[in-house]
Amino acid sequence: MRTSDEAQFVGLLKENQNIIHKICRLYTTDEDSHKDLFQEITIQLWKAYPNFRGDSKFTTWAYRVGLNTAITLYRKKKKTIDTIEFDSSFHKVKEDDYNYEEEEQLKLLYGAVSELNDIEKALVFLYLEDKDYTEISATLGISEVNARVKMNRVKGKLKKILNP
Amino acid sequence: MDELEILKRDWKKKENSFNQVSEKEIYGMLHKTSSSIVKWILIISILEILLWSSITFFTSDDEYFKTLEMYHLNTIMPVITFVNYAVILVFIYLFYKNYKAINTTESVKALMQNILKTRKTVKYYVGYNIGMAVFGFVLVFIFQFLYDPNIRNMIDKVSESMDSNLFILLIIMIYAVIITVFVGVIWLFYKLLYGILMRRLQKNYNELSKIDF
Repeated sequence: MRTSDEAQFVGLLKENQNIIHKICRLYTTDEDSHKDLFQEITIQLWKAYPNFRGDSKFTTWAYRVGLNTAITLYRKKKKTIDTIEFDSSFHKVKEDDYNYEEEEQLKLLYGAVSELNDIEKALVFLYLEDKDYTEISATLGISEVNARVKMNRVKGKLKKILNP
Repeated sequence: MDELEILKRDWKKKENSFNQVSEKEIYGMLHKTSSSIVKWILIISILEILLWSSITFFTSDDEYFKTLEMYHLNTIMPVITFVNYAVILVFIYLFYKNYKAINTTESVKALMQNILKTRKTVKYYVGYNIGMAVFGFVLVFIFQFLYDPNIRNMIDKVSESMDSNLFILLIIMIYAVIITVFVGVIWLFYKLLYGILMRRLQKNYNELSKIDF
């Protein structure tokens, strides 16, 4: 039988699916692996759903479980794949406000982000999602100081890649 | 401008650019658990063949071969064993194929079909193993009855005091009971081992059939 729990979960997930899509955007470089990761995160969220008590927001919880899934998978993958082919068309800017210089820059930036390690990607993701350091540290289970230090390192790395 | 700010601006711009996944698709994803069940079927079948072959390996001492020779089974038995392993390997390959198929299905309907196929394969596999066990027992008992000197002696001895046909009938009955008990144990073993996984697969199938509106 389709339980009410399941229906509730599917509803919540459908409503908040962009969170997962965004995690996938940062951790994957092509559409197939995007789909795979989306599915994997969905399954992990469903498995963890019994422990979701509703004292935190579904979105906050989804950020945590989703990122953990991506981080774990990425770690496993890293053992077999050393470099990731970066598919720039996947991250292409829409045609409307087309700006050649900016597009080049974005291409480089997304490429640079794809070179970051699993935790650094998670940091960038949460930063892009406008999370403050308190939330970042809580989601990733690291201290606030550590989060700041790591973030500065990421900024340095990106700068170096853009201005060699 | 800060590099990350450039990235953030683009990030926000593309926030709603994702192809949305439907409820039905999400239900489909949740029931992908089938693939982990099928993976277990594959793992267990491999462990099983390792268990049987190591048992065969460690019990195949000189005495075993002498007994085979005495029963005139020393040529046919290795052939049967070889064929048996070949068939089991084919089954393992089929389990692997089912696992791959379930792992890559996109639609609920295809997933359901694959579940049915897997269940059928398991059924045939268990059927084959039980059939093979019965065949093995019957074969060994027949040749034991024909060639074991101890049995011969016993029949000769007993027939002095009782009708030898009756005694043979008695032996056959004893054999039948032994075969039934052993095969029963093997059947129970498979029932426990694969029954649980099959039930879960069935449950998953039932749930999927409700989604596939």
